[in-house]
Amino acid sequence: MCANSRKNKSPFSLGVRKKAFPWLVPLSSVRLTLVLLSLSMVLIFVATLEQVRIGIRGAQAEYFESFFGIWYYPTEFWGGSFLNFIPLPIPGGYLLGGLLILNLIAAFITRFQMTYKKMGIQIIHLGIILLLIGQMVTQAIQVESRMQINKGETSNYLERFHGVELVFTDITDASESKVVAIPEEMLEVGRTLNTPKFPLKVRVKSFGPNCNFDLKESGENRGNITAGVDRGVGVSSNLSITPIEEDFSAEGVNFSYAVFELLDKSESLGTWTAVAHPAGNSRWESIHPKLAGLSFQPIRYDGRLWGMELRAKREYLPFSIELLGIENEFYQGTDIPHNFESHINLNLESGQKRKALVYMNTPLRHAGKTFYQYQMNKAADYSVFQVIRNPSWLVPYIACILVSIGLLWQFSFHLISFLRKQAKAAPAV
Amino acid sequence: MNFLTKFPIFPGFLFCLGLYVAILPMGSTRSSLFDFFTPESKPETDIIDLEGFSHIPVLRGGRVKPMDSVARNTLLVLRNKRTALDESGTKIPAIEWFAKVLFNPEEADKLKTFVVDHDQVLGLLNRKFAEDGKFYSYNDLEPFLEQIDQSARESGKLEREKQDSFDQNIIDLYRSLILYRKLKHTLSPPAPPSDSEMIADLGIEDLFFNPETDPDLISEYQRFRDLTQAISKDADSIRMGSNEFAKVVFMLDHYSRANLWSEFFPVPPEPEDTKKKWRKVGESLVGEEPLDSQEKRNLDPVQFSSLLRELVLTEPNELKKKIDFIYETEKMNPSALFAAQYAEAIKLRREVDPILQSYEDLRTSFLDNDPVRFNSAVASIRNACEERAPDQVGKIIFEKTYNEYEPFYRSSLAYIIIFVSACLSWLCLASDSAKFNSKHATSFRNVAYQLTLIILLAHTFGLLGRMYIEGRPPVTNLYSSALFIGWGAVLLCWFTEKYLRLGIASAMGAVVGCGSLVIAHNLSLDSSLNPTGDTMEMMRAVLDSNFWLATHVVTVTIGYSTTFLAGFLGIAYVIHYLLFQVTTSPNSNGKLSSLLSSSRKQVEKTLGSMIFGITCFSLFFSLIGTVLGGIWADQSWGRFWGWDAKENGALLIVIWNAIILHARWSGVARIRGISTLAIFGNVVTSWSWFGTNMLGVGLHSYGFMDKAFNPLMSFIVSQVVLIALAYTVPILFRRPSIKTG
Repeated sequence: MCANSRKNKSPFSLGVRKKAFPWLVPLSSVRLTLVLLSLSMVLIFVATLEQVRIGIRGAQAEYFESFFGIWYYPTEFWGGSFLNFIPLPIPGGYLLGGLLILNLIAAFITRFQMTYKKMGIQIIHLGIILLLIGQMVTQAIQVESRMQINKGETSNYLERFHGVELVFTDITDASESKVVAIPEEMLEVGRTLNTPKFPLKVRVKSFGPNCNFDLKESGENRGNITAGVDRGVGVSSNLSITPIEEDFSAEGVNFSYAVFELLDKSESLGTWTAVAHPAGNSRWESIHPKLAGLSFQPIRYDGRLWGMELRAKREYLPFSIELLGIENEFYQGTDIPHNFESHINLNLESGQKRKALVYMNTPLRHAGKTFYQYQMNKAADYSVFQVIRNPSWLVPYIACILVSIGLLWQFSFHLISFLRKQAKAAPAV
Repeated sequence: MNFLTKFPIFPGFLFCLGLYVAILPMGSTRSSLFDFFTPESKPETDIIDLEGFSHIPVLRGGRVKPMDSVARNTLLVLRNKRTALDESGTKIPAIEWFAKVLFNPEEADKLKTFVVDHDQVLGLLNRKFAEDGKFYSYNDLEPFLEQIDQSARESGKLEREKQDSFDQNIIDLYRSLILYRKLKHTLSPPAPPSDSEMIADLGIEDLFFNPETDPDLISEYQRFRDLTQAISKDADSIRMGSNEFAKVVFMLDHYSRANLWSEFFPVPPEPEDTKKKWRKVGESLVGEEPLDSQEKRNLDPVQFSSLLRELVLTEPNELKKKIDFIYETEKMNPSALFAAQYAEAIKLRREVDPILQSYEDLRTSFLDNDPVRFNSAVASIRNACEERAPDQVGKIIFEKTYNEYEPFYRSSLAYIIIFVSACLSWLCLASDSAKFNSKHATSFRNVAYQLTLIILLAHTFGLLGRMYIEGRPPVTNLYSSALFIGWGAVLLCWFTEKYLRLGIASAMGAVVGCGSLVIAHNLSLDSSLNPTGDTMEMMRAVLDSNFWLATHVVTVTIGYSTTFLAGFLGIAYVIHYLLFQVTTSPNSNGKLSSLLSSSRKQVEKTLGSMIFGITCFSLFFSLIGTVLGGIWADQSWGRFWGWDAKENGALLIVIWNAIILHARWSGVARIRGISTLAIFGNVVTSWSWFGTNMLGVGLHSYGFMDKAFNPLMSFIVSQVVLIALAYTVPILFRRPSIKTG
């Protein structure tokens, strides 16, 4: 009794908190938690099913990284032909995640008792808030790229998995090249772009994230998209382009394309086609020799030589990586890989060299980026790293520790009291 | 006296039966627990020592294992059983069948080795299931080989999702036939086609094995070695157009092709081999092919022969370095790569490995039924393996005994006995005769409890045995996850029963334990999950981390296991509840209803708290396991969470357990509520365990398991029906009582 009344006087007691934030009380209800959790189950289940149709990345964009998604019952399922046409709104990850965070914080303020016995519950929920916020932050700021290096060569840039840029490279001076890159967000059809670093204006005639392409016989009709092309590889290979939808699945390969006109003041210099190969424009040659030029379409202007290409977005690093060797072993007599391993030299900004090994479950962390062994080709002697920049990578680790401590705390309390009861109930066996 | 009153006769019998099943040999499960501690007995001299033969180590599927394991695993693929049948359909040990396949193919072709149980496939063979059964010999199938081949090719063109059950069965049969042929030719390369013009042109008929003049295949190998030694002394004849060279090339190709028709690696690492590679018979003669044989078409003959001549002229030590250099630097050049292999075959491989002679002795003595020679050949092969691969053969004898002990088969049988015992205890409670009373009920309950502990030990021994053989944590694939889920559930049940002796935990533990072992057995039969028949397969690189397997995988699996257990206790509650509802409705009366009403309060209370307590465990393990999985993913793929199907499945379990606990804490759900919620937990867990694999997307999709689709759906439907009954039956049965009242 005495302890109780003392507690009530403290400025942090439950009663005081409830009075201070009466509007938070309904938000903190367990029933709301139950509803939100049940809806999360629906969301996760539907989004998992949808991965079959639109791939992990598609499902992520439609359901998890949105406030709501629209789902149509799959036709393949039982009764699907009747139910398919009904659009079902599914609450999205941002909506449910946000509401859950609010619900938890409200519960912290107006419902949780700050007592020794309930400490575990608070720690668990604190960990879960961290986990939720961490995941939402990660989805918002994490950047994924790849870095491909041939054996014996050095690379100092990353390529984005998704997204392209139209690049003009001034290679007049052999020692120093100047790069002007236009990211795909600016490649809007009909827009005329003008940058101070590049002497010409660029008018975008067509742009798309994915296409089918075809080399037509000379004289044959190229189709609408590339009809007006009169310079470069688009003409020499008589390249025809049919836009298709972006493929979001894990194995999806997307050939972005752009058709653009270069203008000197208002005079047209011609119209070009550019297509980006998803594995790097150096691969064009192996598809068709006539397309090799897509990695470098030259234009001379004002005494300078520029090369043009559409390629995966790049990020240049202040350090570089040299691939010394690769190892790719299989268990004898099987096609089960045993080891993928890259031996590298890390050439630091300071000029210092450091040897490192990158293999499965053992990435290289440097300068806020993490390099993971991703792909490898033993015959062609190259290795691909997946490179991730995620400043919030430590958050889940902290959250995990918090949740474990809280769960252990709480369940130990239960277990001990249960065992005590048992001991009392059956004093002698 | 005291013992007798304590142990009435029938419960005592059940206890002994359970003990017997757990420990002692029975039927084709020939080993007992004691065999693990007795040293290998000396072979008798007057019979062929198949026991010793089954201990010969060979490499298959990336792992060195006893011949016995290869025999059992291949039979599992061919016949869906680990035993074989003879001509008349009588069971024979796997190793006896295997010896015949390897050494006496003509006899082996008569044995009923293949399972064909699909009506349409049987129709293709002109057979009927009702008349001819489902097991067929190679001789039975031989007339239809061409049709099987054609149909399988046709089916193989379809995408996996579009194949129907005929397509999959015909492909499985085709694969089985290939596997069987490979087994037959593993120790003796297939003879060259007798009508080959090439052989006649080159005049090399008499190089090949001649059953009339040669004692065994070694004579052929020796003639080949003479040929290569001659050409290595006369390197000038290595050129296009030379007859001697053409002979060598032909024989080399012949043995290289033989490697393709070889299922396992019988030759232990050669003493000077630094990479410690096991070899096939062909590889022992001509080395390993650097590229697919198809690449020989892209070979430049002039470059190839001139480089080969140059290599053959080099000193052996120098040559080894040159060959390694070529393998390292000329990866895209078939001419150089094949020249390197041929140089190795001609110059470096000078002798026929003595172990090939021992294997040939095995074959000829088996055919002559000569135990003395057979047993001494077995001994010399085993000695050679021990000398040449001392660190790889240490677990061979254990594995052989383990195979024969079959701990999981035993446990699954014994779990049924436990379940029966628990059910009998309830029957005794409900019966009002003098013969069976509550005293008997107590002893049946105690038998179930004690047997659970004993069977749990056998089950644990099974898991530990796998861990010892593999050198890995208990869960490495879907199969072992099933073994472990059952084990975890039974362990928890045993503890629960220890404190709450109602028989319910024992019964439910037995159901989950037996069910998970049956699921495991069916997983081991799935050709897409387990193509080699070995459930102890190697781990692919990204999974090859004992630390994460031991932490993430084990905790997540315990989470599955406890969620299932809570669900099955929920079922127990609902059944009890339904019985109560039905029997206490106004139309019925009797002992059962009064018993149920008297025990109702207590059972509800205990079951409720058991479900609650176990759900706490589930939440703990599934949450920690899922987060650990995220951390592993962060370590190996660079993202904590990727919304992968399996990850989402695990998250669903976590959320569902959280829902159950919050519902209970807030008073939204009471005992019936959390029981039905826990039953739905079964649906969520089975989805996460199997359903996500069926989607065929994501990093965790270990194989597209369409065979499991119907069982999974029926399980889900049954759970939903139980939930529905829990809410509808009370309404249906109460209505009349309201009217009368």
